[in-house]
Order: sequence, then structure tokens, then C-alpha cells
Amino acid sequence: MKLHVSSIDSELEDEALLKVRNLKVWFPIKSGVIQRTVGYVRAVDGVSFNVRKGETLGIVGESGSGKTTLGKSILRLVKPTSGEIHFNGIDIVKAKRSEMKQIRRSIQMIFQDPYASLDPRQTVSSILYEAMKIHGVVKNKVEALEKAIKLLETVGLSEEHLYRFPHEFSGGQRQRIAIARALATNPRFLVLDEPTSFLDVSVQASVLNLLKDLQKAFNLTYLFITHNLAVVHHMSDRVAVMYLGKIVEIADKNSIYRDPKHPYTFQLMDAIPLPDPDARKERKLLEGDVPSPINVPPGCRFHPRCKYATEKCKKEEPQLLTREGKRLVACHYEIDFSVEKIVGEVGS
Amino acid sequence: MSKQEPEVRKGEWEARLADIKYSLYLLRKNPLVITGTIIALFFIILALLANIIVDPKLAYPEGYPGNMYPFERKFMWNANHPIQWGPGISLYTGPEFFPLGTDSYGRDLLKMIILAIPVDLYFAAIITIIAAVFGTLLGAIAGYIGGIVDEIVLRITDVFFAFPGLVLALVFASIFGRTLETLALAIILVWWPPYTRLMRGQVLSEKEKPYVEALKALGASPLRILFGHILPNSIFPILVQATMDFGGVILTFSALMFLGFSPSPAMPELGNLAADGYGHVFDAPWVMLFPGLTILIISLAFNLVGDGLRDVLDPRLRR
Amino acid sequence: MKKQNRTQPILEVRNLKLNFHTYRGEVKALNGVDLKLYPEEALALVGESGCGKSVTALAITGLLPENAYIVDGEIIFKGENLLKKSKEEMREFRMSECAIVFQDPATYLNPVLRMGIQLKEAVLLHKDALKQMVIAEKRGEKIGYQEFLAMKTSQNQISTKGYRVSRKKINEMAEKLIMDILKLVKLPDPERILKSYPHELSGGMKQRAMIAMALARRPSIFLADEITTALDVTIQAQILYLLKELRQKIATSILLITHDLSVAAEIADRIAVMYGGNVVEVSSTRAIFKKPLHPYTQLLLKAIPNILNPTERLESIPGTVPEMINPPSGCRFHPRCLYAMDICTKNRPNLKEVEKEHEVACFLY
Repeated sequence: MKLHVSSIDSELEDEALLKVRNLKVWFPIKSGVIQRTVGYVRAVDGVSFNVRKGETLGIVGESGSGKTTLGKSILRLVKPTSGEIHFNGIDIVKAKRSEMKQIRRSIQMIFQDPYASLDPRQTVSSILYEAMKIHGVVKNKVEALEKAIKLLETVGLSEEHLYRFPHEFSGGQRQRIAIARALATNPRFLVLDEPTSFLDVSVQASVLNLLKDLQKAFNLTYLFITHNLAVVHHMSDRVAVMYLGKIVEIADKNSIYRDPKHPYTFQLMDAIPLPDPDARKERKLLEGDVPSPINVPPGCRFHPRCKYATEKCKKEEPQLLTREGKRLVACHYEIDFSVEKIVGEVGS
Repeated sequence: MSKQEPEVRKGEWEARLADIKYSLYLLRKNPLVITGTIIALFFIILALLANIIVDPKLAYPEGYPGNMYPFERKFMWNANHPIQWGPGISLYTGPEFFPLGTDSYGRDLLKMIILAIPVDLYFAAIITIIAAVFGTLLGAIAGYIGGIVDEIVLRITDVFFAFPGLVLALVFASIFGRTLETLALAIILVWWPPYTRLMRGQVLSEKEKPYVEALKALGASPLRILFGHILPNSIFPILVQATMDFGGVILTFSALMFLGFSPSPAMPELGNLAADGYGHVFDAPWVMLFPGLTILIISLAFNLVGDGLRDVLDPRLRR
Repeated sequence: MKKQNRTQPILEVRNLKLNFHTYRGEVKALNGVDLKLYPEEALALVGESGCGKSVTALAITGLLPENAYIVDGEIIFKGENLLKKSKEEMREFRMSECAIVFQDPATYLNPVLRMGIQLKEAVLLHKDALKQMVIAEKRGEKIGYQEFLAMKTSQNQISTKGYRVSRKKINEMAEKLIMDILKLVKLPDPERILKSYPHELSGGMKQRAMIAMALARRPSIFLADEITTALDVTIQAQILYLLKELRQKIATSILLITHDLSVAAEIADRIAVMYGGNVVEVSSTRAIFKKPLHPYTQLLLKAIPNILNPTERLESIPGTVPEMINPPSGCRFHPRCLYAMDICTKNRPNLKEVEKEHEVACFLY
């Protein structure tokens, strides 16, 4: 049975705030005395997606998937090798220094490690003031002080925290400071790279609540990168699953969990430990280790670990195509996981 | 409106002051550091007051101006022996008590040492500061920019590392003449490489830290990142190194003077005074002993201070 | 799920109070911890950072740092108080009774030795048992890890009197045993693993190797301190599945320390929840999830994003984790507790059995 498919996300073009097309980020591996390039780490290897205004797109994947590199490349903290990233009419990949400065005002990032993403020698007020100064958001120090206090209150801290150093705060509070710093430039888009991974469960809850509130209050768009599937389900509208540098599936969060179409997505969802002892089930485990992006398997990247791999999978790389009009899957086949059988083939 | 501006500044300074107070508190806990600091402070004060306590003209008795060469040495193996200890008769001022004895020119050794201390401290400070500042800046730039700039700086540093200080000093002496300033220059030239290496290492490791990445994401310029953030965070090991180095520089400086680099044999300088006693080690050991001891105590004191600073700045204890 | 032996606990921590001596003051890390681990059960010790779960593990294994000192309490194993044992005796304990696996395998493996040597080191500690196995093999008996395990009990032991077993034979037996253990932990291509250095293995493989080294010690207690926290989700699932399988084959007790309640739900029979240096609730896994009694446990469960039962907002716990130099008086949770009463600020509640096999430390009950 052949499925009807169409090309990527075309109906979303107009509403998209961020458009990524065929992004590749390769890191050269150099060796030898003369430092010849002997290979590449293909961290991001051809990724395309749109982020709609006001939505939260979650990016999940395990180590080696390239999700962190993807997040950093959007802010050009790592240099993209090829592809396009369109934001506000500018292609970030090709943008000039001055254009990047503009971009950096509108796109901000929250990092994973709250203990290391703040300069330990800066007071909170200095941290916030610097952000404002770089982008000329305020005219003088008085305005800066007012705005800093307001920012702190927005993230749940207060004026008395202004003149303290980062080491006097807990992890959750430091993330709040980082969020306040990000908001100081009045951004429209936030890239969040594992913002709660280092935090305790209860602290994580309050930070996630804060992020949701801020999104509503300031009409923000989020790109939420994480390996924690429960968190991404809570935060996102749509979820993109990455494997070895490519996106294998994008769908709304409930479909991803309840009705995954890609074998890797299925395994990923299946592996999540659930906070319900009755939900313990017999698992069909994914064998083998997470592969390295240096030696990428030919054809479909997942085929060495895929139960349903065929000859076609070993030779041809599947494209990320729309299925049933609502989701995107990169797989040659339609699989019914409940009976573990291939029930259809994708025609192109 | 402008009333609020000082408020902002005040808050910042209060926070920094509290931080410094905490550092001092930690310092207070270590007895070695306290001893070292007291001794070091003592010597610094002494250096500042030296020319007031002791009449500098005593270094050059009989009214000989500036360069003392040649100086007539009155040397007698009897009660009028100019090299004396304790109560005795000064060749120049009559009966006097010499607490540390006299040197071979019959001058009160204690007074000479007091006059020598500011010379040593002054030059050691100049050398350390210039070498540290230069080396640090070079290392910061090399570390941050990386690439070929880094390579070039590294090679230059290696060359200077290999320079033997003594040889360089002698070469300088023959070209530029034997003055304290040329000696200082020679020492500076061989003293800066460790700072470059140290700073470069610090910058390289700070560069990779998440907060630097966060600053880049914020849109901060490389200049702002390097001088506003990386430098302040890396400065403490440099300070520690410089403080401990101070002792080392004093040793080197006075050692070179001892070996004969000095422009004038009667000039009050610790190494010079020690050199004076070299010929009389067995019959008048105090002439060499006390200047040498002074050198030892000063460099030990500064070493201890540096050690203590290092402990204080140990992040494990502090945060 | 195995039925626990409702017998004596194999390990019991009684009223353990422990402080750390630091620059800034005394950190009162453990405030009277009560814990019972029964034979062949899997107990999960759950709590957030700073609650003292890792410290408890270190106290049990005798690996506390220099600045820690015991204020009160005891840890009873086989009738003896572990806290009173010498360093040598604790080493013996760690070698043959209690194996501990930590979160980051990379820092616990020697980076310059091949895996084979490190594994052999662990096995060769039991020279006597190896000798017996060589003798048994000569007699034509089957040998393998199960037999190695069985030899722990004295009735299964073979007398080695009068036999001379060469070192070479002992080494060979050790190697055979290692292969068996590696198969048990499902490490693929064991030959290659033995020749590899730690950095050549992935995180999941290193953890399996650490578990293998732990198994080589025939422990009656297996302490796992956040062993899956640093691993990817699919690898974590593999390791948890492995632990479940091992439980079928080997009769050890597992003390699993984790901050992730979902991981505990996967594998534990009972869960003990810790907060601020105390165990505040202990019960079967089902009871903890279906009917949490302690206010902290209740809030903790509501803070976890649950895919099966998604909510718009997550409950967070008001206030912050207590600072252990000046902890709150009485019940350490009282500043953050909605139900705090006057008595909570004065006295610390002890663990009390409120329902069948469900203990809570709270004045509400």
C-alpha cells in the first residue's frame, strides 16, 4: 500500500517565525603533523523545520543526535557548514556582523548549566545591566535599575537580589537570573538548551511554570531542547525527534507519544520510565549503543538498530515527508507497532 | 533623578566590599600567612621610612660623592679594627654601639641594611609589575585569539624562557653600562615568560566556560568578553604568582648584585653588602650574614603571603 | 515481583546522625536516618539534592570523606555495627559483601589499564573461591558464575587442603569467570571489551562493566548510586532491564539511590523518601504512588511531569531546600509544609507505621 505524501511543512510557511532549511553543521577532524582533515563529525546533517510564532517546538534526542549543536547554530555560536536559517527576513547563516547583532537582540538562549552560565564575578545587577547596555535597550543607569528590578520581579526574584553574586543563589534561582538576562533585550524567540536538566524535580517544576507564564505574557516562541521526554511533553506543542544529525519525526506532542510512526520514536517513547508502577510493561528493548556521528551508516541512519530494516533501508536515505497532512516522518514504511509489522510503503 | 545613580553604584561597591571582607576573613585563619603578611608589611613600612630613620649620607662617609670607587680601606688587626661588633669605635664618629657590627668600610651594618631595603623593594616591585603586566597582556591576547597569533607568541616565549638571566645581564652591562636600571631591564626580559604561559592557560580554560558562550549569545564583543570578563576571572592566579615572585626577584636581583653587577661597591643594597663580607667570612661573618638573612626573610615573607593568597582563592574553600 | 522475606533485615540503619566539618560551619547532613533493607529486595532511596541519600550510601560503605563524623546511630549488618569497624574491615566489607556502583563510571575506572586487567583485579580478590573452582573443574563439575556465587555459603565450599593449585590455573579460572560475568551483563563481544581501555567504551557499556565488577564480588548488597542519571533514555532502559534480570538470577538486595521517582517505579519493591537528612516515608512502590502520606511526597509526585496524566501547570514546592548549617528546627520540612503545626517546629517526628507496611514521619498521623 503506497502512502500519499507531500513535501515539508508548506502550509506553515507564512506563520513561521524561524525557518531552517537543510542545515548542516560538520566539525572537521584533524590529524597528523600538518593537521589534515581526515573526517567529519556530522553533528547536524541536513535538518529542515519551521517554528510557528508563539509555539513551543521541542527537540528531543539522545547523545550524538545533534540537538545541542542545532540550538547553538541558530545563534551562530557554532558556525553552520551549509544550509539556511531564516529569521525576520535575514539568513543567519550568511548574515553580517551587524545583522547578527540585531538577531542576537531578538533571539536569546538559556543554557543548561546554571552554575556555569553566569560570570561568577558579576553581581546580578551587573549581569542585567550588561545585557541592556550591549543592545542599547535603556538610556541611562536609572532606567536600567528600574528595568532590572522589574525583570527580577517577573522571574520571581526581588530587588534585594540585585547586589548578590551568583554563588549566593541556588540552581533554580540562577536559572531565573539567566532567564531575566535573556528577557532584558525584549526578545521574541528563546532557544532553551536543557534548561532544567541540572535542577531538582521541584525546582524544575517552578522553572517550567515560569517559562510557560512568560511565554503567554510576552508572546514568546520557544525552541525547547532536551533529552527528558516527560518534560518536553509537558512544555511543547509539537515535538521533533532527532537521531544522528537528522530529524526523523515531527508531530504534535500527543501523537508523538501515543502514535509514533518512526521506529526510533517508538523505541524512545517506550523506554521512558513512567511514574506509575502499574504501568510497568514488558519492553522490547532497543539493542546496541547510541552511535557516533563520525561514522554515519549509509542509507537510513537508523537501519543497523531497526527491527524492520529492509534492503531498501540500507541503501536509500528516507526523506522527511508529510503524512496524513499533519506530521512529518522520515521512514520508507508505515509500521503497525502493536503487531510489529510493516503495513505499507511510502511512494514518492 | 541623579540621586538614584549613586545608589546604583553604592550597591555594587557594597557587594564587592563584602566579598573582599570575606577574603580577608579567610586570610586571617592561616597563621603562616599572618606571619608572612606582618613581616612583609613591616619591611614595606621600613622601606618607606628608611631615608628618614637613617641619614643616607652615612653610606658615604668622609663626604665622598656618588661613585665610591676607589675607596680607601683602613684595615687593622687590632682594637681599631674597622670591622667591629657591638661596642666599638667608629672610624668616623668615635665610640659607638654596633648592634649588627660594621661592614668592611666601618659603617654601621644595621643602618646600611635599613638604607638598602628600599632599593631592593623598589626595584623588585618595578621588575615584577612590568614583567607581570606585559606577560599577562601578551598571554591574554595569545590565548583568546588563538591560531597563528598564539603560535607566534608561544615561540617567542619559548625563546625568552631559554635565556640565561645571568648571561643576559652581563651582556647588558657591557653594552649599556652597569647601572641598576639595566640590571632591572635584564631581569624583566627573562621574568615575563611565566606570566604569559600562566595567563594563556587561564584564558584558554575560561574561554571554554559556559558563561563565555552565554556572553557571545548575548552579543558581547570579543573585547568586552576578554577584558571585562575573562581577565577579571583569571587575574587571581596572576596575583598569587606575582606575590610569590616578588621574593624570587629580590633574590635574583641581590644575587646579581652580589656577583659584582653593582655600579659601586659601597652602595647600600643587600646583595652588595653581602658581597662586601664575602672576603671576611671566617673572621667577621656578620658582614655577610646579616644582609643575607635580610634577603631571606623578605623573600620568605612574600612567599608566605603568596601561598596564603593561593589558599584563600582556592574555590573549594571559598564557595 | 518477588515476595520479600519478611525476616530480619540484612542491613539496618538506626537513627544515623552525621555532620560535616566545613569552613563555614557544621553541616548537619543526616538527622537520624532509619532504614531497613531486607534480603533479596530492591529498595529505592529517593530524594532531591541535599537530602542526604548519597551520604547515607557513603556511610554504609565506609567511604565517607575526612571531614565527616558520626554524631549518633548505628548501621547493623549481620549483627555488627559497621560504624565501629576499622578501615581494613570496611574494605573487606566492600570487597565481599557490599558492592557500590556510582553515577559516573569514567571517574571510577583506571584510564590507563585495559578493562580485562581491571575486571581480573576484582575477581582475583577471591583466590580461595577460585582455587575451589579449579578443583571442582578437575573433578568434572560444571563451573560458572552461579557456582561461584553458590560457593559463598560455607556448605558448598570444597576443601582445598592438600591441593596445590598453580597461579596460572587460578588466572585461567578468573578469566573464565569474567567471560561468564560479561555475558551475564550482556556486554557484546566480550573479547574485544577485555582488550579495550575505558575511554573506548560508551557510557552504557562502562556502566555494565562496573556492574560486572560489582558482581565479581558476590555481594549480598548491591548499592547503585544514581547509576542511570548520566545515561541516555534508551540506554537507561537497558540498564534497568538488566538489573531486573539480574535480580531473577542472583539473590542480592539492591539499594537504588536516585532522584528520579520514575526510575524507582520501574524497578523498586519499596521506596524510601528522604528530605533534609531524614527518611520521611517508606512503603511499597504502589503505596507511595497511589497513596502518598507525607506532605513532601505528595508535592513531589505532583511536581513530576507525567505523560500519562498531563496537567497545564506543575505543582512546585514553596520555599527552598533547607540549608544544612542552620537547618530548620523540629521537622525540617515545616517551613515549606502547608499543614505545619506548632509541634512541627519543636520536635522531629519519628517514622511510625501508619498503615500496613507504610511508615511516615509526620505529626499529622
